Amino acid sequence: MKNLEQFGFPVFLIVMAILPNVLNSRWQAVAITFLIFTVVALSQDIILGKAGMFNMGQALFFGMGAYITAILNAKFGWPILATIPVAILLPALFGILLSGPIIHLRGDYLLVVTIGFNIVFVQVVQNNLGGVTGGPNGIFGLDSISLMGTQLSSQIAVYYFALAVLLLTLGIMRNLEKSKAGRALHYLREDQLAAESIGINTRAYKIFAFGLGAGIAGLAGTIFATQYSAVSPEAFEFLQSVLFFSIVLIGGSSIPGIFLGVFVMFVLPEVFKEFATWRFFIFGFAMILAMILRPRGIWPATFGKIPKFLIKESNNGA
Amino acid sequence: MDIFLQQLANGLTIGSIYALVALGYTMVYGVMKLINFAHGDMVAASAFVGLTIYTQVLGQSTSLIAVVIIFLLSAVAMACVGVLLERLAYRPLRQAPRLSAVVSALGASLMIQNGIMLIWGPQMRIFPELIPQIYWDLGGVVVSLIQVIILALSLILMVALYLFVEKTRMGAAIRASAIDQDASRLMGINVDKVIALIFIIGSSLGAVAGLFIGLYYRGITFNMGWQYGLYAFVAAILGGIGNIPGAMFGGMLLGLFQAFIAGYVSSTWADAFTFILLILILIVRPTGLLGERVAEKV
Repeated sequence: MKNLEQFGFPVFLIVMAILPNVLNSRWQAVAITFLIFTVVALSQDIILGKAGMFNMGQALFFGMGAYITAILNAKFGWPILATIPVAILLPALFGILLSGPIIHLRGDYLLVVTIGFNIVFVQVVQNNLGGVTGGPNGIFGLDSISLMGTQLSSQIAVYYFALAVLLLTLGIMRNLEKSKAGRALHYLREDQLAAESIGINTRAYKIFAFGLGAGIAGLAGTIFATQYSAVSPEAFEFLQSVLFFSIVLIGGSSIPGIFLGVFVMFVLPEVFKEFATWRFFIFGFAMILAMILRPRGIWPATFGKIPKFLIKESNNGA
Repeated sequence: MDIFLQQLANGLTIGSIYALVALGYTMVYGVMKLINFAHGDMVAASAFVGLTIYTQVLGQSTSLIAVVIIFLLSAVAMACVGVLLERLAYRPLRQAPRLSAVVSALGASLMIQNGIMLIWGPQMRIFPELIPQIYWDLGGVVVSLIQVIILALSLILMVALYLFVEKTRMGAAIRASAIDQDASRLMGINVDKVIALIFIIGSSLGAVAGLFIGLYYRGITFNMGWQYGLYAFVAAILGGIGNIPGAMFGGMLLGLFQAFIAGYVSSTWADAFTFILLILILIVRPTGLLGERVAEKV
């Protein structure tokens, strides 16, 4: 694993940095989609994989970020970059407020309530509550990103914006793993009662995980709105949440696993366009097969490192 | 008052459909602790199977015998699909982490839903008029023959299921497996058989519900299973998942609630109100209305 981090990551970075310059515009769009959905899947991983809460409504926070950017830009004339703080903070705040009352629910109940949040959100947006969401058609005609007076309207600019956000997210995930909060979430997932008994405030950390995951998803929503310079309710349906949920679990809640999951779910369908009608049928089959063959995910996450001498000693002792 | 009685009749009809579907969710959950996401899509599949039996096998006959045959054959077909699903997609994952089985169920749901689309096409199909359109005007409230049949047949099935689970040896085996699978095995109960039985019962009740949906709403689409499945699942949770009378009660409650929302507020907000009701009830009673309070196991 250590080798992977040392050599895999720089290689990945170089490939991703060069990538848009060798792709045509259609594949640039696919690459941007890949980056955005990876960020959302990583944010889902914080809630589902790291904290172990059955959240099946991640598209809600993703969509909320996208809609905030779209509304502020198209209706109130804010520049895209200025909407980012709102698109992070408001979903995070919602994540905290929504999770507060439901965090004590048992796993499956939590799952259905988060599905419910997602469905309520889509219905609110579709019914054009407050007259700002544009109803079933959504909002279109967003500006492009402008940085210090220059309009960065090319796809390549959006690509690097998305890549920067992905790197930021990866940084957060890495810090989380090595920090007090990350360890607390890990204990919490493994055994809530034990975590509580060693003095971890499980409730606060669960809400923290929801807030963090929601904020990152909101930021991904901003890029999504910028890429298409439009938003519409269908992009944030409950089915999307199902896909994010499945990606995390099939990937095994590890970063390479999630990359692989997003690649299979969102990039391969672009390659095999002619199989469009078969897409979800094959996905369904692949989901069952992946779980039967690797119930812990294709690339299961490992937490922390056990020093070598400890492993040896315990082997000798046994 | 007329609106109230009319929506009461509509609510009881749709509520009994939800209740039948919810039973499938709740029985599977009770024994396997698994949300069978594919159940809703099997309900949808049943309507399409019924349609095909009607056009291909029975030559569009609407005699009473033909209707009975459609119901029986669809139920048998869905029972087979249910048992097959359990064998192939759920049994290998019984010892795996719980979420693996959930993903497998989601995969099965996508497969069945898109299987329907690949076989019968993505466009809406019209379900045959198997039951004559007879309406009674009861002082401003219109009740159709279909509504009466749906309600009566659902109640009969639910009472029969309740008696089966409470009074027979097989029913006792189901209840025992729901409480503790390992202890049931030690007592000589074949838990694999119990699970197969549950899938047979749940899927055939779902099949009946699917045909009811076809009869009542006429238009059937390949992806309608998501919606009905989700509502029925909400109904099962409202009543306390794993609890059989709870599913019946939750289904009726949700049907009436949605009918009154449609009658007095607006049907465009039905989903939002449904889930707001669910969230409020779960905040007050975290295990549903009839669910038992389970102490945290240490």
